[in-house]
Amino acid sequence: MLHLPRRHLVTLLLAALPFATFASPPKGGAANLAMIGEPQSLDPMASTADLVGTIMQHVYETLYTFDSKWNAIPMLADGMPRVSADGLVYSINIRKGVKLHSGRELDAQDVVASLKRWMDMAPRGKSIGKDTVSLEAKGSHSIEWRFKAPSASLLAQLALPSGMAVIMAKESIATPLASFVGTGPYRFKERRPDQFVILSRFDAYSARTEPSNGYGGKREALLDELRFTPVPNANTRVEGALSGQFHFADQLPAEALSRVEKGGAGVVPILTPSYGFPYLVLNTKEGVMANQSLRQAIQIAIGQGEMLTAAYGDKLFFTVEGNHSPQGTPFYSTAGTDQYNKQDAKRAKEMAEKAGYKGEPIRLLTSRNFEFHHTMMQVMAEQLRAAGFKPEMQVVDWATLVQRRGDSKVWDIYMTHSGQFPEPMLSPPQLGDGAPGWWDTPAKAKVLGEFNRQSDPAKRAQLWGAVQQTVYTEVPYINVGKFSSLSARSSRLQGYTPSTWPFFWNTGLAK
Amino acid sequence: MSRMSWGTLGRTLLGRLGGMLAVLSLVSVLVFLLTRLAAGDPMAMLLGDQASLQDIAQARQRYGLDEPLWTQFLLWLGQVLQGNLGQSIFLQMPVSQVLLERAEPTAWLAIFSVGLAMLIGVPCGIVSAVWRGRWIDQCVSTLAMLGASMPSFWMGLLAIQLLAVGAGWFPVSGYGDPGADWLTRIHHLMLPALVLGTLNSALIIRFTRASMLDILSEDYIRTARSKGLPEVIVVFKHALRNALVPILTVLGLTLALMIGGAVVTETVFNLPGLGNLVVRAVLRRDYPVIQGALLVIAAVYVIINFAIDVLYVWVDPRVRHG
Repeated sequence: MLHLPRRHLVTLLLAALPFATFASPPKGGAANLAMIGEPQSLDPMASTADLVGTIMQHVYETLYTFDSKWNAIPMLADGMPRVSADGLVYSINIRKGVKLHSGRELDAQDVVASLKRWMDMAPRGKSIGKDTVSLEAKGSHSIEWRFKAPSASLLAQLALPSGMAVIMAKESIATPLASFVGTGPYRFKERRPDQFVILSRFDAYSARTEPSNGYGGKREALLDELRFTPVPNANTRVEGALSGQFHFADQLPAEALSRVEKGGAGVVPILTPSYGFPYLVLNTKEGVMANQSLRQAIQIAIGQGEMLTAAYGDKLFFTVEGNHSPQGTPFYSTAGTDQYNKQDAKRAKEMAEKAGYKGEPIRLLTSRNFEFHHTMMQVMAEQLRAAGFKPEMQVVDWATLVQRRGDSKVWDIYMTHSGQFPEPMLSPPQLGDGAPGWWDTPAKAKVLGEFNRQSDPAKRAQLWGAVQQTVYTEVPYINVGKFSSLSARSSRLQGYTPSTWPFFWNTGLAK
Repeated sequence: MSRMSWGTLGRTLLGRLGGMLAVLSLVSVLVFLLTRLAAGDPMAMLLGDQASLQDIAQARQRYGLDEPLWTQFLLWLGQVLQGNLGQSIFLQMPVSQVLLERAEPTAWLAIFSVGLAMLIGVPCGIVSAVWRGRWIDQCVSTLAMLGASMPSFWMGLLAIQLLAVGAGWFPVSGYGDPGADWLTRIHHLMLPALVLGTLNSALIIRFTRASMLDILSEDYIRTARSKGLPEVIVVFKHALRNALVPILTVLGLTLALMIGGAVVTETVFNLPGLGNLVVRAVLRRDYPVIQGALLVIAAVYVIINFAIDVLYVWVDPRVRHG
């Protein structure tokens, strides 16, 4: 049994209650928020990077957002969409009286123009765009969206703060964006690259009236200013949180936990379990891994438990489990997990021989920009060696990896990671079409086709088991497990609710 | 000075100027090729992890990155010759403006830390030389050795833990809040300057000591002492003045190095300086920024070298007369 120090348990419990409410925090002040780097862009449609969404979700809002249980709930939409019986036509009413940062009232034309831009340029929007027949305004505050095929994940796609389907003033739409005119509780004030992005309170913000719930419900800008400061050096983020210079420090290294815990009353650690998952992508198109039997042998050879232990150390920071969605979530399934964390070198060797493996090198592509990727890959290489494979590590910087993985000729397996999203179709991209790894089989088309056509949430949950089983059978990618995230906040920062994309409305700074 | 020597001088300087232009041309080609031939793609970084390969290809087209290398080079060179270093892919602003903004913290950090290095290094070096072999010399030499071998990131983290988090005297990182006054900015620079200054002083101590020891064993120093001059006058007026030349050279070199950005220190202290800019630009493959920054840094080096050449010509008659 795992023995956790009591203090850790308390922290875990606190983090497990995301979106808990606090006594109303004070108004005023500016919060210094240490983020992991400079945002790739301030255009939330132009980049799928989480950091872009984290910052710009304060400026722009979406038609739908997530509540504390990851259900899509209305934000700029007046209510849930009216869907035709065949699931092909969505009618959505827009809330009336919502003010844009320019002072004008938001209308259906803004929504149509914004969503068209999203379908034109955002990676997720493009896939929705392919299935769209038409999108038009019906009156001043209503839109009608027609599809070729039912799209079960539409609302989750519209709610996701990554490659966001934000609604912007139609006259501000340009590429690149020259001004950032949204409806959010904060408005864009200033960006000084590598120093800060400053958002200031939008006094005419039109809040929803329902109580705050997850990312949804009533949003109130209590802080005068949000100052997102890029601090790529993790140690500097830790020290800045400890000294009180930063009121929030995002994504700290696991080994910083004890320092933050001993940091006194001024700083509070925030541990979010099942924050994300590392995964290995296998090249199903070319090279030695195109052989499915060999991919299955690799799956049997590796021990995810050992990999995660090496990368994170403390068990608080990882979970060794083969189910792709965490327990307690709608898509939890154990289908296929008997193939997870086997580390059976003998059986793997037999399987490889049977599959016709002749000792060809297996090119493992990894980057040290994420140290945990590199550590896990090193452990995996040893596990593969023990099973008679010939792994060949290719350690490159992240920019190089992102480019090389697009070329099916130069790698066999690469390591990456993703946030743990509420809707399985949102990540990894290998579940969609054309992503590196190029998984494209009749079995995939069948199970994912059924899963994506089904709009009944209960039935979709059952169908997900078949998808997970197919992933374990065909091994296009291997889920390593789940990792937790550690952040820290100043005890003065009140009302903060731990979340995957940290947000700072309803958050105040005690004097 | 004769007409002849002016002619020689002119020819020398013209030669150096030609060399300078040749170096800069070579640098521009090398910088362009190095950034473009290195693996990695700015568009893949810009669009994020969930972007598809088609999205990336389309974005490359939009930014003209799919054009042949020589076309891209000529386009860039044409811009540079008109004084335009291009537009940053990530920061969406002109590279020249980015460089100008980043030069400020770097320049101040360089000045403060070299100043501090001089204030620590020169007196310690003198003391060490004057009391050569005594306990104080051994102490100073040991400390200098320690300083020279200590990595700046470690010293930086140590200083942050002790002086910023522990004592709370300095901010941990950054360059002050938006709109901060110059006093706040200087407050933010003090800790990194202390770290860099202390580490660099090790080199200055060793050079000062060596240079002073050379001079103190010269005949004219013995003469000065035998004349009965007080030791203070001998050391400071007669020895130090002459020992200063090599010390100034080292100081100048240190300053020039730091103008290019104290990469590690700027990263640890999250200072928005030139070094930090170049590192981040490389990691995200922001080609225009990498090219612009390296070209400007190279130009500054070349210009400083040219200025030193001119000074040599002015100061040293042997150079002037060929």
